[in-house]
Amino acid sequence: MEEVVRIAEEEGVVHKNPIVIEGLPDVGLVGTIAASYIVEKANYKEIGYIESDLFPPVMVVHEGKLKNPVRIYGNEGVVIVLSEVAIPPGAVYPLTRALADWFKEIGAELVIPITGLPVGNRIDISKPGVFAVGNSEEAVKELEGKQMELLEEGFIAGPYAIMLRECGKRKMNAISLLAQCFPVYPDPGAAASVIESLEKFLKLGIDVNELLERGEEIKLKARDLMRQTALSAPEMQKGVEQDMPIMYR
Amino acid sequence: MGMERRIIRTTWRYDGCLEPLYEVEDKEDEILVTFDLPRVRKENVEINTTENTVEVIAKMTDAVCWERWGGIQKRLTFQAFRKQIRLPEPIDPEKASASFKNGVLRINLPKVRSKVFIPIE
Repeated sequence: MEEVVRIAEEEGVVHKNPIVIEGLPDVGLVGTIAASYIVEKANYKEIGYIESDLFPPVMVVHEGKLKNPVRIYGNEGVVIVLSEVAIPPGAVYPLTRALADWFKEIGAELVIPITGLPVGNRIDISKPGVFAVGNSEEAVKELEGKQMELLEEGFIAGPYAIMLRECGKRKMNAISLLAQCFPVYPDPGAAASVIESLEKFLKLGIDVNELLERGEEIKLKARDLMRQTALSAPEMQKGVEQDMPIMYR
Repeated sequence: MGMERRIIRTTWRYDGCLEPLYEVEDKEDEILVTFDLPRVRKENVEINTTENTVEVIAKMTDAVCWERWGGIQKRLTFQAFRKQIRLPEPIDPEKASASFKNGVLRINLPKVRSKVFIPIE
């Protein structure tokens, strides 16, 4: 049977227990903006792409070259997954399962989905805070050891939530970093906060000043992806993240 | 909506205007509309409201120039954001207020609806 999601790697790529960063389009495009900026600043090479019949029939052209919009970048020690198109809600489960299988296969040491946590008063927050969720006791201990603020109660929804679960099922540690963000506006400030927190897990040494300086330009370029992503938010159950769980303590 | 509009659904226009991202929220007594307006200063924002619509025209501090993309393949320059929104309920334009912070415009539009107290028998 043909695979629903296919991960294609460039030939000759070597992985040495990499740390994986997943930055798929979600609220505020925090993960997408942060992952793209890291790829640009660290000068990571494109090492693969992901295709699926569940994705929109879209390809992207950059500098005259045809590319898949869902791509993988990195080196021996780091893998970054990003997308230039919104992931349809129906593709989230198969995509996440395929990625988690692949992360296991390449011996990923830690999987870090990065995204945003929408807050109504974002306009009044000058430096967005970052919260973290771990998928195992070990992951939570690591977060506590690094003085990360834990998201202690609440629902989480979207690709990152399922990635935490799927990694857990495969006995892989995963940690999601969530920066306070605008729900439906691209948020480079939140992306900068997430990158700063990432430094606690892998020393990339990325300076976020340029990201903040180019914030307005990034917001302009990200309008269309933000619009696509916001359209699928209700089906992605993003609203539930503002709800109170019945077993709240 | 015509076929062309459905296929060519752009967030930019040939007249040099971009459509801003916006959000409309129903807050019981008022409608809250926010617009994301990067590269815009407060003094360059014009807001016009009627009972049923709100229109925002916002000039950017620097024009944005994009080229070699899509079916255009030529230089396009954008100087402003422009968007008119039809409101879900009538509002009182005289009582509307607005603020602008960090590139986000917030417009509070009080609803016309008058409250009637209903005593419980």
